[in-house]
Amino acid sequence: MSMHWYVARRVAWAVIATYLILSITFGLLAVAPGDGQTAFAFKAATQGGDVDEAQETFDEITGRDEPLLTRYKNYMVNMATLNWGWSFTRNQPVLDAIAQAYPYSLMYALPATLISIIAGYAIGLYSATHQYTLTDYFGTFTAFFGISIPNFWFGIMLILVFAVDLGWLPSYYQTGRGVWTVANAKQLILPIIVLSTGAIAGNMRYSRAEALEYVHADFVKTARAKGADDWRVLVRHIFRPALVPLMTILVADILGLLFAGAYITEVVFQIPGLGLLSYKAIIQQDTALVMATTLIPVFIAIIGNLVQDIAYTVLDPRISYGDR
Amino acid sequence: MTDPLLSVRDLHVQFNTDEGTVRAVDGVSFDVARGETVCVVGESGSGKTVACESITKLIPMPPGEIAGGEILFDGEDLTEASEKRLEDIRGGRIAHVFQNPQSALNPVYPVGAQIVEAIRLHRDVSKEAARDRAIDLLDRVGIPEATARIDDYPHEFSGGMKQRVVIAMALAADPDLLIADEPTTALDVTIQAQILRLLRDLQDEFGMSIVFVTHDLGVVAEIADRVVVMYSGKVMETGPVYDVFEQPSHPYTKALLGCLPGQGKSMEPIGGTLPDPKNPPAGCRFHPRCPHATTDCRTGDHPELLDVGTDHEAACVYYGPGYDASVIRGDAVSESTAADGGSEGGTPGDASKSGGDDR
Repeated sequence: MSMHWYVARRVAWAVIATYLILSITFGLLAVAPGDGQTAFAFKAATQGGDVDEAQETFDEITGRDEPLLTRYKNYMVNMATLNWGWSFTRNQPVLDAIAQAYPYSLMYALPATLISIIAGYAIGLYSATHQYTLTDYFGTFTAFFGISIPNFWFGIMLILVFAVDLGWLPSYYQTGRGVWTVANAKQLILPIIVLSTGAIAGNMRYSRAEALEYVHADFVKTARAKGADDWRVLVRHIFRPALVPLMTILVADILGLLFAGAYITEVVFQIPGLGLLSYKAIIQQDTALVMATTLIPVFIAIIGNLVQDIAYTVLDPRISYGDR
Repeated sequence: MTDPLLSVRDLHVQFNTDEGTVRAVDGVSFDVARGETVCVVGESGSGKTVACESITKLIPMPPGEIAGGEILFDGEDLTEASEKRLEDIRGGRIAHVFQNPQSALNPVYPVGAQIVEAIRLHRDVSKEAARDRAIDLLDRVGIPEATARIDDYPHEFSGGMKQRVVIAMALAADPDLLIADEPTTALDVTIQAQILRLLRDLQDEFGMSIVFVTHDLGVVAEIADRVVVMYSGKVMETGPVYDVFEQPSHPYTKALLGCLPGQGKSMEPIGGTLPDPKNPPAGCRFHPRCPHATTDCRTGDHPELLDVGTDHEAACVYYGPGYDASVIRGDAVSESTAADGGSEGGTPGDASKSGGDDR
């Protein structure tokens, strides 16, 4: 069976999975009470409007008065055409709200992800090739520290030390400072540190464990016996085979960028990114926005699985795509 | 005799572990002449693999450490060589073939790429030229349709074919010395014979020396010029293969030969096990298992290697002053005559016959 046919089948499955998830979500929303209606009415009431009228208007906008099948059809069409609804808390289409928040998430998540991948893998590989040395123990200790400390606590501690006590860095994020400016870079430092420590630790542990599988492998000894130097052995004969399982985490990391909702980091530092957007939407019962911000990671998970499966077959010649 | 290609002198290799120091190789000496095949024989754990992997420092260091002695390769002491120099020698002048072909090749690269890598590490040639040479090598080691198979991955080859690929890779830079560590142990018997024949043919063709590590005396008889018998990190006996099989001079060698099947008499296993390498017995390492052990064997240092024939040495007190060597050698006669039903032609023992037959 050819690779193309395999990829085509995986894509077909991804489409079916997406359809099922959308249908289930619709079902849950249809049976859920309130559906933002109460919140909408409450908002209308506080602004001096009529509650019953507001509820009717809400039903009309959201199409709740139509038969179930029609609503299902409309819902699917809307989803497919990226008409994902109206955020009443922000008075703008849901996708616009997301598009506005996204760059802020990307600003700290992209560097944090890159740092965590590069530093995590480098430390992990070093630890694996220098197993049970002092540096390995130090790396392992640091990794456990990084994994163990909760992000919100670490974030607050950093703010206390670097913003409050030392006054070197701002304590929270302010928009309107440009993108490629020193001021913006300064206020991104702490979020990047908070987000990358845990991720570095995770990547380091995974890459160390995977590389250890191969450090003492016969084919690594063969490579050394051929006269390959340490660097070549490490990159071509240890890291490359270890990359197959690491791909799972790597793809998840990179795709995580597409929906970089680091809730706690964004809430602590008040960064108006996707995490804060989603957090506020939940607090304020903005159903359409909550749905969008939760469906996106689901879709990313589906795409991620698809990319992983394809990456596996490319990276590991032993995986056959014939019988799956 | 001209200078040997490889001369291992009083080599000590130890592993420093939390549980103590393991002296895996404890004063081993042997020579390998140009074009010669030397078999290093011994039980699992006797230190033969460590000794051979120490030559190019393939053992993990730390915890491994070359604690003493020298390894003269073509006049150069490899124990003193820099890592850079060793990288040139590994694969370039001294090639290795390991025991398990199933895991000796990197699963994520085609076999051709792995051979090309070996060639280009030591020869300044273009990728195309290296690829052509890889095809030639694959062809030479008996891979059918080498041109078509060069881009196949290791898992697409059988065990015997993989070992051929590994051998082709070892030959990539035309080495002077091939160190083959039990290259046939993981293969079934018919494939074993093919690989042995291949190695012998390649040796004739390339004129290289071979150090062949094995515990299989049948294989030794098949390919060796000389034999080094190791036990518990020490050399027990060394000599030309014919002499060692004909006239086994150390009780351990005799016991090993006694374990060989197909001699027309019952096999005799060696009682007991290898001594603890962290805490070897005083005196001769073999004395706890030796039927001839005396008080001298149980104290002091391990016996020196003593001449027992031309270029034939054994580390046994019975060849020293005040001992009757025929206790060891004569024993072979009486034992085999008894087994042969008292026939005259028992000397020098059945073992030599089996050695001769296998050749």
